[in-house]
Order: sequence, then structure tokens, then C-alpha cells
Amino acid sequence: MSFAIMYFISSAFADTHMSFWERISPPKDISVNGHLIDYLFHYTTFFNIVFFLLVCAGLFGFSYLYAKKRHPIAYYTHGNKKIHVIVATLIGAFVFFAIDLNITRMSSNDFSKIFANFPKKDEDVIKVEVLAQQWMWTFRYAGADQVFNTDDDVITTNDLRLPTGKKVVLELLSKDVIHSLFLPNVRQKVDAMPGRISKMWFELTTPGNYEIACAEMCGTHHYKMASKFKVYSPEDFQRWLATANQMALAENDLANADYFWGWQWEE
Amino acid sequence: MATFEQHIHPAPTTFLSKYIFSFDHKVIAKQFLWYGIFFLAVGGMMALMIRWTLAFPGEAFPIIGTMLFPDTHGVIPPDTYAMLFTMHGTIMIFYAITPILIGAFGNFCIPLMIGARDMVFPTLNMLSFWFAVLSAIILMSSLFTPLGAAAGGWTSYPTLSTVIGSPGVGQTLWALAIFVVGISSTLGAINYITTIIVLRAPGMGYFDMPLTVWGLWLTAILNAIFLPVLAAGVLLLIFDRVFGTTFFLAGAAATSGSGDPVLFQHVFWIFGHPEVYILILPAWGIVSDLLSFFARKPAFGMKATALSMTTITILSTLVYGHHMFTTQMSPLLTQSFMTLTMTISIPSAIFFANWLGTIWKGSIRFTSPMLFSLGVVFVFGLGGLTGLYLGTVTTDLYLHDTYFVVGHFHYTMAASVLLGGFGAIYFWMPKMFGVMMNECLAKVHFWLTMIGLNGIFMGMMIVGYAGMHRRIYNPFVYEYLQKLIPINTFITYSAILMGLSQFIFLYNFIHALLKGEKASDNPWEVGTLEWTIPSPAPHYNFKEIPVVKCGPHEFGNPNLKNGRDYQYQTEQLVEG
Repeated sequence: MSFAIMYFISSAFADTHMSFWERISPPKDISVNGHLIDYLFHYTTFFNIVFFLLVCAGLFGFSYLYAKKRHPIAYYTHGNKKIHVIVATLIGAFVFFAIDLNITRMSSNDFSKIFANFPKKDEDVIKVEVLAQQWMWTFRYAGADQVFNTDDDVITTNDLRLPTGKKVVLELLSKDVIHSLFLPNVRQKVDAMPGRISKMWFELTTPGNYEIACAEMCGTHHYKMASKFKVYSPEDFQRWLATANQMALAENDLANADYFWGWQWEE
Repeated sequence: MATFEQHIHPAPTTFLSKYIFSFDHKVIAKQFLWYGIFFLAVGGMMALMIRWTLAFPGEAFPIIGTMLFPDTHGVIPPDTYAMLFTMHGTIMIFYAITPILIGAFGNFCIPLMIGARDMVFPTLNMLSFWFAVLSAIILMSSLFTPLGAAAGGWTSYPTLSTVIGSPGVGQTLWALAIFVVGISSTLGAINYITTIIVLRAPGMGYFDMPLTVWGLWLTAILNAIFLPVLAAGVLLLIFDRVFGTTFFLAGAAATSGSGDPVLFQHVFWIFGHPEVYILILPAWGIVSDLLSFFARKPAFGMKATALSMTTITILSTLVYGHHMFTTQMSPLLTQSFMTLTMTISIPSAIFFANWLGTIWKGSIRFTSPMLFSLGVVFVFGLGGLTGLYLGTVTTDLYLHDTYFVVGHFHYTMAASVLLGGFGAIYFWMPKMFGVMMNECLAKVHFWLTMIGLNGIFMGMMIVGYAGMHRRIYNPFVYEYLQKLIPINTFITYSAILMGLSQFIFLYNFIHALLKGEKASDNPWEVGTLEWTIPSPAPHYNFKEIPVVKCGPHEFGNPNLKNGRDYQYQTEQLVEG
């Protein structure tokens, strides 16, 4: 049996150049607040391991100590003595107060103060409208006039480009079925639904080329609904946006009614 | 506490009345068992196809691949892949686990363990099985429709599951099948609840019922309340698909008034979260009993265990919102659902403590049912603890819809329930069929299954944490997932190991039925009521309705003088 296990493990990791740890780590965090999610994950993991070890200690320890051959006569108790009830209740209460409430408090704080706390109306942010459809992502930047659904909007397909160092707000809508915009490097996702605008905000830190996935089952080619995700430095982003804006003015097909799929920005 | 006389009916004589349209709860239990094992095999085969695709994208599925997918020379095409995971989920939940744990063991154990001659509504019981069969026929027939079976995931979220996303008739048949299986489960549930309330043997209070019966009872209550909710949801879906209503349509697709696709998610998860507990509660009950039976020690804090299970049953109805964090509901709701979800860990921790308390200072006999029960403690520990990440909103923003979720719910619903179900089969085999299964093969089956399933589901959690999302045909179109190829291969090898080891079980099961060693009346030396009657149980169960005088877990009482270390429930508790 141990042969079988060793065969599995060695066959699975034979072609390794990467350490096992690297292989199982989530993609690089490139956002200002992603570390909060990673921290909470590790915090929970730590306590989970402690608790699971306790369970295992009981499970394997008692199985060893109280096997029939070592312990032929069982101790007769219904576990309803005061001390038993107190111990069981204490374990329950300890799990709840020490771990759960802590996690809940931290997560709740992070959520209400950061992830669900969208930038105020007058804040200077990058705004992008995202249209999801089977099976592509379309992104719309307001262009020079800062108003969506006008002639100078920059529109990209499966190619989101954003700068570092500035808050980004995405508004999402779906044309057909429910999709979910998943940015693994930002540790966030939000559903794109038909008939209902959803929002997500984040701030990026590291320029580079990344990927965006659709996380919600959306049909046969769900697995192909990927988008490039390019993060620029602020200067590079301005340069790109200016060029893209000029190209948009020259090339946008305004006669096509489908071009005006955008909506008025919801504050 | 029987409120009316239970007559002994003459045994049925014709083949049809004895084996097909039987009113006998034991026969119906066996029918459900065969049905469940058949679909377990079908669903398991589908799981292997899914795993094959993920580990070896673009390679032909071995042996039966070319027969099933001739157009692609044995490679599973993407649309079929979507059907496979949809059908795998649906089949495993409604057509494999539900029939085995609730249909088979619910039917078999409840009357025998509470000292009744049959269920209180035998006709409903029979109908429950035949509705399940009808539902299965509808579901399987959808595989042969022009556009194939439903392919929107077992959750079938609109608008993907409306005509916009799934034009084929398969999705309609799926909804219809779920509606019919809902009828079947509700009929069964009403029967279980009523039977437990009115047909308990004289002297048997609620806390004298074995915990198996407690688990099944709570499951039945959840089933009776929440399956109708699902049935209502899929009925509206059928309306949207067939009659052109717009309950779940919105945006450009809603040409006549606007509904809301998220509404379906609410309806679905109001049912869906309790469903998790519907599946796991019988296994919890069975495990609680088996741990006590084979530790030769009374169940530790039995009342607390029963009440913890009841508390979880109640709480399970209040937490469904944690399945919908990414739909961006209001932060107030999000936080309420998160906090309520966390409270479930209090009763869970208490009964975990009680499980460990039961084996503490016991005299443990490592029979196969005991191994499976200890296995449940292990895998449910993992499954329960990993739920914390998903009930917490911020970590869920990252982990939602990734393989981490898949690993987590397989640990809780698949691994625990499967191990509990196998434990139950090994344990009640003598009373069901009058034969013993081979212990040695059973133990090999246990260890191989255990290694296999931990490899699979632990692996799933790992790739999920690394960012691999669910329901994708080929994860490796994404660059950041390419490093996960070896781990996916490892998961698939584990799945193959687990799949193959089920043949040991099948061989053991069939061998026992054909020429197994005859079982004595009470091979495990246990005192609950079903062991006071001959093996296999006669069609009338109890010649005389037993009178219950003590609890179900009377083991190791030092005052016992008759050479046994256990007492039957029909015996007066010996006191010093």
C-alpha cells in the first residue's frame, strides 16, 4: 500500500522544477488589499490545523489506547456527569469564541471597511464598464469626456488594462447568462448578472501581464472565457489610454447600434 | 407508544407483490439499496470521466471511450463534459446518496429500531420508491434527447438553465425529474416522521431511540419542509422554459416583463443548504451509534448529541446566504449570514467531542463498520473545518467557485456520507440479507477507499486554493493553472484507485448474497431492537411488539451478571 502511495506521489511530481510549495501557492497578489484575504486564510488554517490535530490525537490516540486487546473492559459512563457536560460545552464554546468569532470579526471589518466600501463619488478613480457574454469579456473606458456610452469610449475585448496606484471601480453587467469576473491575482470575484449591475473595486500594485477567468458556469465554452489582464505603471497607462482614445475616435463604428451597449455610470 | 393495533399480515405470495410492488419496508429498503448502488456506479463512472478530462485533456477515455464518443475518437467533448458534471452532481445527490442513506437505511432501520411491524403508511412508502424510479427514467432519458442532457451544473442557475442558455429539452427533463424526485422524497419524509412519532414501541421515549433514528428523523423533517421549496423553484423554471413566463429572466432576454435570475439562487439555496444536512444527518446518526456499539460503551452524552443534531437542523435553515456572497447582496445580509454560519460550529464541536468521548476508555473492536465510522470522524473533521473559509465572506471572495469548494463539499457530503453508508451496509447486512460480508475484504476496501478519497478531495482543495476554478473543461488554457497539471494528474490517479477499490466491495457484496456465511441473530452483540429478532428479519418484524425498558447503548454495565457486556432494550436496566 505504501508502494502505491509512493508511486502516486512520485509520478505526480516527477517533472518538477518548481518546489511543491510554489506549485500549490495561489498566484501572486498584486493588489493593495489582497493580503487581508491571504492573512485571514492563513489565520484560519493555523487554527484549523490545531483543531484537526486535536481531533486526530483523540481519534488515533484513543483508538490505540483503548483497543480491545489493551483495554478489555470499557469504562461504563453515559457521559452525562456534570464534568462531562462542562467539558463538551467548553470545547464548543472555545471553538466559537476563540476562532469563529475572531474570524467573523476580522472578515466583517475587512468587508465593510474595505471590500464593500466603494470609493466616494468625488474620488478620482479609474472607471471601467464590463459586459460579460457567452463567451467573452468586453471592457469600456469612458474616454476623454469621462462619460460612458459616447463616441470616444475606448472598448477592448478580452483585454483589461489598468494602472497601478489608483483605485479602480468596475461595473458589470451580463448580456445573457450569469458570469463571474475572477481576478485570481487580486483575490476577488464578482458575478456579472443580466438585468442587475454589480460592482467591484481594488487598487493594483505590480505592473505585469496576468489573467482573468470566468468563475461561474456559463455554458459549453465557459472554460475558454478568459481575458488578458495587463497592469501598467500610471505613466504607461496614460500613454496607452491616449493612443487608444485616438484610435477609438477614428475607428469606432457608430452606425452599429450594438456599439452603444454601455450605461450611465451608477454612483 | 403505539396508538393503534399493528396486525400481522399474511406474507405476500406472488412474485409481483413480494418483490416489485411490495408494501414491506424491508423489501422497499432493498429496492432503494439496489437502485442507489446502481446510480452510485453510474455517477462514479461520470466522475472518472470528468477526472480523466482534467488530468489528460485531449486524450481518449480508455476502454469505453471510443464506444461512448465515436465522433471524437473517444475524447470527451466540451458539451458532453458539461453534461457529465451536471449529471454527476444530480445523480450522486438525488439518485445515489439519498436512496442509499435515506431510502434504504431509513426504511430498513426506522421500523426495526423503534419496534414497529412496518411504516405507518405502507402505500406511500411503495409510491415513494416508484416515483423515484419514474424520476430516474425521466433523468436518464434526457441523455438521449437531440441536444443531450442538462448541462448547467447541478445548481442549474438561470438564465443559463432557461431557453437562453440551454435550448435543448434535456434541461426541462432535468427539472421535471427533480420535481418528481421531490415528490418521492416528500412522501418518504412524511412517512418517516409519522412512523417515528406514532409507532415507537411501548416504553420508548424520544431519547430511547437510537441516534440513527434521530438522524433519519431530523433528515425527514428537513426533507418534508425544504424539498417542496426546490420543487416550487424548478416548477417555475419549467414555466419559464415551456410556457414563456419570465420569473428568472432579466435584461435583454426578458421581452415581456422582467424577473430576476438571482431569485432562483435564493429559492435553490434555501433548499440547498439544508440538503447538505439532509444527506449528512443519517450518516451522523449511524456513526454515533456504531461508535458506541463497537467501543462497547454507552454513547457519550447521548442527549447532547441528539440535541446538537437538532440545533444544527434548525440552524441549517438560516445560513443559505453564504452560497451567494459573490452575487453582491447587501453587506448587512452578508454579515448576518456569515455570523449565523459560524454558530453551527458550536453544536458541531459538541457532538465531535461526544464522538471522541464515546471511544474514550472504551474497549474498541475494529470491525469494518467501526473502521468506516472512525473514517467518518476523520473526513468530516476535515470537511467541517474547511467550511470556515467558505462561510467567511472575504476568503470566500477568492475561494468561491474554485475547486476548494468542490473539495470541501465532497469531504462533507460525499466522503462522510459514503463512508457512513458503507459502514451501514456492512453493519446491517446480516439483518437485511441474513449473511455476513467478508471482514478482511471489507477492511481492504476501507483503506483503499480512504487513501483514494483523501487524495482526491485534499488534492481538489489544493488546486482550488491555487486558483483553479470549477466546471472548466480544460484548466490549462490558463497560464497560471499550468503548474497544476501534476496535481490534477495525482487527483485522477487517486480517483482511479478509489473507483477500482469499489470492485472489492461489489465482489464482497455479491459473494455474500450468493454464498455468504449465514449470520446469527445478533452477530455484533448489540442491544437495539432489530437484534432481538431472527436474521434476516421476518416479514412481520416482531412476533410480539417489544416493550422498551432501557436505552439503546447499554454496554459494559459492571452490574451485568449474565456473561454479556450488553443489554437488550427490552431488558430492565441492571443497577447495582
